[in-house]
Amino acid sequence: MDEQQPNSVWTSNSFWKRSAGWVTGFAVVLLMFLTFDTMTQITMGTDQDLKDGITKRVPAATVINYQIGYKMDYSRGHEMPVIGKPELFFGKTWSVKEANQLLNLGKLTEQSKDCMNCHTLLGNGAYYAPDLTKAWLDPMWKKGGVMQLMTHTKTKEEAMAAFLQYPVKYAIHVRKMPNLKITAKEAQGLVALLKQMSSIDTNGFPRGFSRNVQDFKQGVSNAH
Amino acid sequence: MLFEQCTDTSCGNIFAWLNQGPLTLTIAMHLFIILPMIWIYYDEKKKLKK
Amino acid sequence: MHTNLSVGFKSGSRKLAAKYFTVAIILFGAQLIMGLIAAIQFIDPGFLFGIFDFNISRTIHLNALIVWMLYAMIGSVYYMLPDETGIETVGLKLGTLAFWILTAAVTVVVLVFAFIQIGPGSQMSIWFINEGREYIEAPRWADIGIVVVVLIFYSNVLLTYLKSKQRTGIMAVLVADLFALVGLYLAGMFYTDNISVDQYWWWWVIHLWVEATWEVFVGALAAYALIQIIGANRKIVEMWLWIEVLTLFGSGILGLGHHYFWIGTPEYWWEIGALFSSLEPVPLIAMFVHVLYDWGKKQGYLNGQNAGQAIKSTIKNTPAMSWIVVNAFGNFLGAGIWGFFHTLPQVNIYTHGTQFTAAHGHLAFYGAYATILVGMMYIAIQKYYGLERLVSTTKTKLGIALTTFGVLGMTIALTIAGYEQVLVERAELGGGWQAYFTAQALPWFTQAMDWRLIMGVVTCIGFVYLVIDLMTIGKNANAQAKIKQANI
Repeated sequence: MDEQQPNSVWTSNSFWKRSAGWVTGFAVVLLMFLTFDTMTQITMGTDQDLKDGITKRVPAATVINYQIGYKMDYSRGHEMPVIGKPELFFGKTWSVKEANQLLNLGKLTEQSKDCMNCHTLLGNGAYYAPDLTKAWLDPMWKKGGVMQLMTHTKTKEEAMAAFLQYPVKYAIHVRKMPNLKITAKEAQGLVALLKQMSSIDTNGFPRGFSRNVQDFKQGVSNAH
Repeated sequence: MLFEQCTDTSCGNIFAWLNQGPLTLTIAMHLFIILPMIWIYYDEKKKLKK
Repeated sequence: MHTNLSVGFKSGSRKLAAKYFTVAIILFGAQLIMGLIAAIQFIDPGFLFGIFDFNISRTIHLNALIVWMLYAMIGSVYYMLPDETGIETVGLKLGTLAFWILTAAVTVVVLVFAFIQIGPGSQMSIWFINEGREYIEAPRWADIGIVVVVLIFYSNVLLTYLKSKQRTGIMAVLVADLFALVGLYLAGMFYTDNISVDQYWWWWVIHLWVEATWEVFVGALAAYALIQIIGANRKIVEMWLWIEVLTLFGSGILGLGHHYFWIGTPEYWWEIGALFSSLEPVPLIAMFVHVLYDWGKKQGYLNGQNAGQAIKSTIKNTPAMSWIVVNAFGNFLGAGIWGFFHTLPQVNIYTHGTQFTAAHGHLAFYGAYATILVGMMYIAIQKYYGLERLVSTTKTKLGIALTTFGVLGMTIALTIAGYEQVLVERAELGGGWQAYFTAQALPWFTQAMDWRLIMGVVTCIGFVYLVIDLMTIGKNANAQAKIKQANI
């Protein structure tokens, strides 16, 4: 039966086999080129970039020393993070080394505590708790907002750190976050991770982090 | 407007350059992948005739 | 030409396959129990709160799923090797040792997930407790163990393929596909504090597994199964297999782009991800048509030749064939249609991170993978007892009907929940903390969660029938065959 010749190229196994080989191989080559290019674009920026006002898709860890906003960009057609004036983070300005260590601790803690199996980060993970992509910008944490009042804190980062350490005590929904034995230092790290994540250019995800249509039209975000 | 300039953060690469119109990048990539199959087709046809 | 290759169940390769299948079914059960716990937690958040929290039940739910499928896949390969190569598998002793190492490691990992759960924020936790990356949470030591074990498995396959004089198209596809499958796991084995880079490589493992290499694997299994069950023409089956490889890899590899819309990666991924992944359903349609076409054609031949004879069906194993037909439907619906629903960036910006994804995940994993792997188990049972034909029992039918109905029901419930999230949480309220909880509390969501649990229970009942049937069908059929022989 193998010796029997197919009467058309379309029913010949060797045609499909060769085509499959070519298509797979070339798709892999294209993916590699894309990966090289994407890697250069999503490698973390440097502290100097921040100082020079150079926009990076993933800013350096020292971005925690700056205000972060999320504004409509009309040329791109979606919101994008805006890095603003310097601001204190946990009452101080972090050096490059300190900021890197803090972010590293935050990322390690995020993985060790298995955050991703309740929350989504950059939209990926589980759907049992809110998305954390732009959590730093959530109105819940703003000055005079629910969370700062409840935790008796004066800043966003302190409110977040307090909540992370005592999630059951500060719970406001029936579906509570469990106590994950997060230490004070780890909580700071997590907040740094959240702040840095909110500065990542996610091509406008989540769209319209703003509830007010009027504000939205003016390019003002509901984020704080 | 059918063709619009790249507005992404970084436009200095081949993929961003190709991506300046309605599906231009993806159509180009599909063509790169599929067109050589025409050659494979005629090559196989030649073999079959033998 | 390719007949008389069957080595029978005396083959060590098949004994090893049986071991892999057994563990697979146990882990399948664990997956369902964890799914039930997680589903209850959605309705009653106090359930096991502080003892066995949602992140833990979900971690084990996902990992049991991935691992049981890998077990069943490895089992299927060991099972079909003697048929496809015509010789006994090379290096079985090492293969068997690898099985025990893997099983011990999996047990330890599950126990650590269940009892230690999480650790302090340090490298130690990532190495020994939980890596905290969805689907590949297994700690790093286990990653390394898995790679070693899977390399042993792969060397078994490769050496057998090279030793054999017989080179089937199915084996060629398998050898290449498994190589990619094993290699890709390495992309998920490193730590970085850059979450965009982290997720970039993480998707290499997850996407290039389930939307490329696993799908091609299923194509190869379906090809083998059709030859075994209905005696399909190998040449035609292999032609279809090559077409599937072409279209699956052609669309699936760059379809990876649909995970790179919002994780910090450049905008050009929108186009690449959108159009390539839109073509992902094409091979699934091809697989579907191919299964039904072969079946109809073979049946037509039989009806023409054997008119009036006792044997009316071309199917030698009706339970396996039923599962494979469900696979053809389920793969197309779950992976194809439900995947396409939210693969365009214009849609995905609202659906990303909602229950839509969960709906797609449930039907796709069941439809594309669970079904065909269960089908392989039925084929194995038939050979184990040396049965000429294996015919579905009531339990087979209940097993297949209830699990399928249950998964479909869960999928519909989750789709409705996701739809509500898209409209209220995302489109209307912009996806913050309050937007999230507002949407979670609305009736469309809460009722969907109730239905998801109910349908989950239906799936579990179906699973119980399936397990009982797997344990008894062969034995009973064998006994009946003996009585028949005695009577003659």
